[in-house]
Amino acid sequence: MSSESQNKGQVELFKHSSDHPIDGMALKKLASAGLKWLKTNQEVVNSLNVFPVPDGDTGTNMVLTMQSAFDEIADSPEENIGKMAQKLSHGALMGARGNSGVILSQILRGFARALDDNETLDIPTLVKGLIEAKETAYKGVVRPVEGTILTVAKDIAIAAEFAQFNTDDPILFLQKIVEAADQSVQKTPDLLPVLKEAGVVDSGGKGLFYLFEGMLKYIKGEPLDTSSTIIQPISALNLENTLESIEPGQDFEVVVDFSPNKKLNLEKFYSDLEQMGTSIQVGEGDGMYRMHIHVPTEKRYEPIDYTMTLGTIKQVHLENLVDQMSELQKSRNQEKIVFTPVEPGQIAVIAVSPGKGLTRVFASLGVTAIVAGGQTMNPSTKEIIAAFDNLPANKIIILPNNKNIIMAAEAAKDVTVKTVAVIPSKTVPEGLSAMLRYVPDGDFTTIVKDMNDALDDVETGEITTATRDVEIDGVQVKRGEIIALLNGKLLLSAKSLEDGCLKFLEKAKVEEFELITLFYGENIKKSEANRIVDLIRNKYPNLDIEVQEGGQPHYQFIISLE
Amino acid sequence: MKTAIVTDSTSDIPENIAEKYNISIIPAILVVNGKSYKDGEGITRKQFYEELPHLTIPPTTATPPLNAFQDVYETLLSSGYTNIISVHVAKSLSGIYNTALLAARTFNNKIHVIDSEQISLGLGFQAIIAAEQAIQGIQVNPILDKISTIQSKIRVFAMLDTVDYLRRSGRVSWAKARISSLLRIKPFIELRKGFVYNVGQVRTRRKGIIRLKSMLDKLGAIERLAVLHSNAESDALGFASDLVNTVSSHPIIVNVTTILGTHVGPNGLGFATVLA
Repeated sequence: MSSESQNKGQVELFKHSSDHPIDGMALKKLASAGLKWLKTNQEVVNSLNVFPVPDGDTGTNMVLTMQSAFDEIADSPEENIGKMAQKLSHGALMGARGNSGVILSQILRGFARALDDNETLDIPTLVKGLIEAKETAYKGVVRPVEGTILTVAKDIAIAAEFAQFNTDDPILFLQKIVEAADQSVQKTPDLLPVLKEAGVVDSGGKGLFYLFEGMLKYIKGEPLDTSSTIIQPISALNLENTLESIEPGQDFEVVVDFSPNKKLNLEKFYSDLEQMGTSIQVGEGDGMYRMHIHVPTEKRYEPIDYTMTLGTIKQVHLENLVDQMSELQKSRNQEKIVFTPVEPGQIAVIAVSPGKGLTRVFASLGVTAIVAGGQTMNPSTKEIIAAFDNLPANKIIILPNNKNIIMAAEAAKDVTVKTVAVIPSKTVPEGLSAMLRYVPDGDFTTIVKDMNDALDDVETGEITTATRDVEIDGVQVKRGEIIALLNGKLLLSAKSLEDGCLKFLEKAKVEEFELITLFYGENIKKSEANRIVDLIRNKYPNLDIEVQEGGQPHYQFIISLE
Repeated sequence: MKTAIVTDSTSDIPENIAEKYNISIIPAILVVNGKSYKDGEGITRKQFYEELPHLTIPPTTATPPLNAFQDVYETLLSSGYTNIISVHVAKSLSGIYNTALLAARTFNNKIHVIDSEQISLGLGFQAIIAAEQAIQGIQVNPILDKISTIQSKIRVFAMLDTVDYLRRSGRVSWAKARISSLLRIKPFIELRKGFVYNVGQVRTRRKGIIRLKSMLDKLGAIERLAVLHSNAESDALGFASDLVNTVSSHPIIVNVTTILGTHVGPNGLGFATVLA
């Protein structure tokens, strides 16, 4: 690989830092390396989920945030490291997605601020930068929690303060920081009981660790694009097609389940697959492997033939993505959702919606615009700012409708010149409840207060399929089982969807409520949703029960109890 | 100089009060299944609201004929009254005001026709207060001034059980625009200066009643109160009994006129109040 020889040159460069100072261009290379390594390990970070639910893809969020940061400097010839750091920080802020992404952007902001407009970086300034990074990250969070990315940022800063007295070699210095980050990540479960219970380390902290480790690997000349650890549980594979457009060479999606005859040589497996196509993912569970790849039409059978040489094929799934895409576009064009236009002086509302049905419901309640996003795809700060800018209104209320989007909404609010209020709705039902209080002509402060008050008017149930085995909140969960959450807390697991729904309503003391609204997701059919709702109606004849198409991914039902 | 007070049946003034203050009430017209009824005659409000959800053809409302006004005005003037104040439902909601104006033309400026910009007791309180003054012998101009002051102190709010009737009636643009109630929602409305405004919504009745109470509380000190309902008597009584300590006198409780009910549907609950 040609990049390897460059890497070796880099080792020299950093070894003699007095002759080759760390400037803007060096920062660019380090950022690129950190990003690349984080990307390689994206799925590992994604799988570190406390709840066995398919949400809050921390790895994806951090990669997209870091990518946006890097895009800002990719073409910049800036040699001044302070100025380069500023650009990096700006790119991160605009691209920040999810809470971990926002905190990462704060870390970069603090770092950039400490660097001021320094031409080059020396160790004392680096230490100052890492301390300021930690400070800024903590300040960005209303109630900082230990055992998260914040703790890792703090331990990095502490390690840097000590390391500066032990070494003046930048490689050794970075080595110390990476070791400290690693140890800090390992001890996150001791600080945050919920991690320990779930048997995972903190995902955001792990992501931060990968960023630093990537830089170190780069300096040492180690490869950044292959990781033998990118094996994940089959259930954690996110193979649902979320493509917006098809790139050349992605005509077919091939998924093959197989059990290998002998131990799989993963590195070879990956590199062989890379000859055939893109979007490669591999999952493992109970000795079975699942391989996912996108290939051009003429190569559609190649991955199958190839896998047959490695073991026994259990199942093959082949899908024409081009055709699927045109179907998708057709259905998209069919139905237009009409939003209430906002008149001059009126208050506009933007809601984040995870599904088409929910978008339609929000529209019927008078929202002015929607930002698409939810459990698995958190919108970036930039997307939210764009939504603010696109509205012909100066007073805007935003409903994030997800706990992992609130910080990005706050960050967008801080950037825009418009008057914005974030109503911290953690779930869709909370957002709908707040929306009921919306009066476009009302007094902004009063409406914001009213909408905030309305968040408590409703309780939220979520029904989904467990992505892995876990025991949490005293509930034993097996991968593939139905699980139910009440206001974000795991309530129970069940063998079937109907069982899960009925048990959930029982445990949530549904008879104390007046109205139950069930929004069914894109992963179940309308007839199945109606069948389950009929069972519920029979069991609770005195309750008002309403069923609506939600269209959200992954969650069979989002339930509003009021 | 003796001044008579005339209004129409959309004022919802209870019979005993109308009698006590000599208020003349001209009935509006309700059309159900092609048959016309004078408001309050032939079909009771209770019957009407019970049937309303089952009517395949939506009922309509009509303005009383010109001579209904002329007859009342003539009778009053020939029985010793020198002036008449004829105060009516908001002209933005009904043709009654215009008909009254037309009828008044032939009586040489003896009749002052007023647009109340309100309905139900929002109108009713204007007529009642005017009548209280007239009975004390107060002159017509001070009474007209008083009505104008009172108009600025009247507030009318209600929670409808559904937006469907309002949308069907086609008179309120925001209700027309609502793409049906995708979610079962109960809108709050305020009638202000003759227009119906949407002031939020709620999904459960229990919370709706609590919100309605807080809307009333936020208005501060009040002088008069009427609890309005469209066939939701027990809710209205419950609402009123919770309020007894906060208002000086017991509120008037009315099952609102079918003329209004046609447009708002059954099971609505609200209030009309005069601020202190």
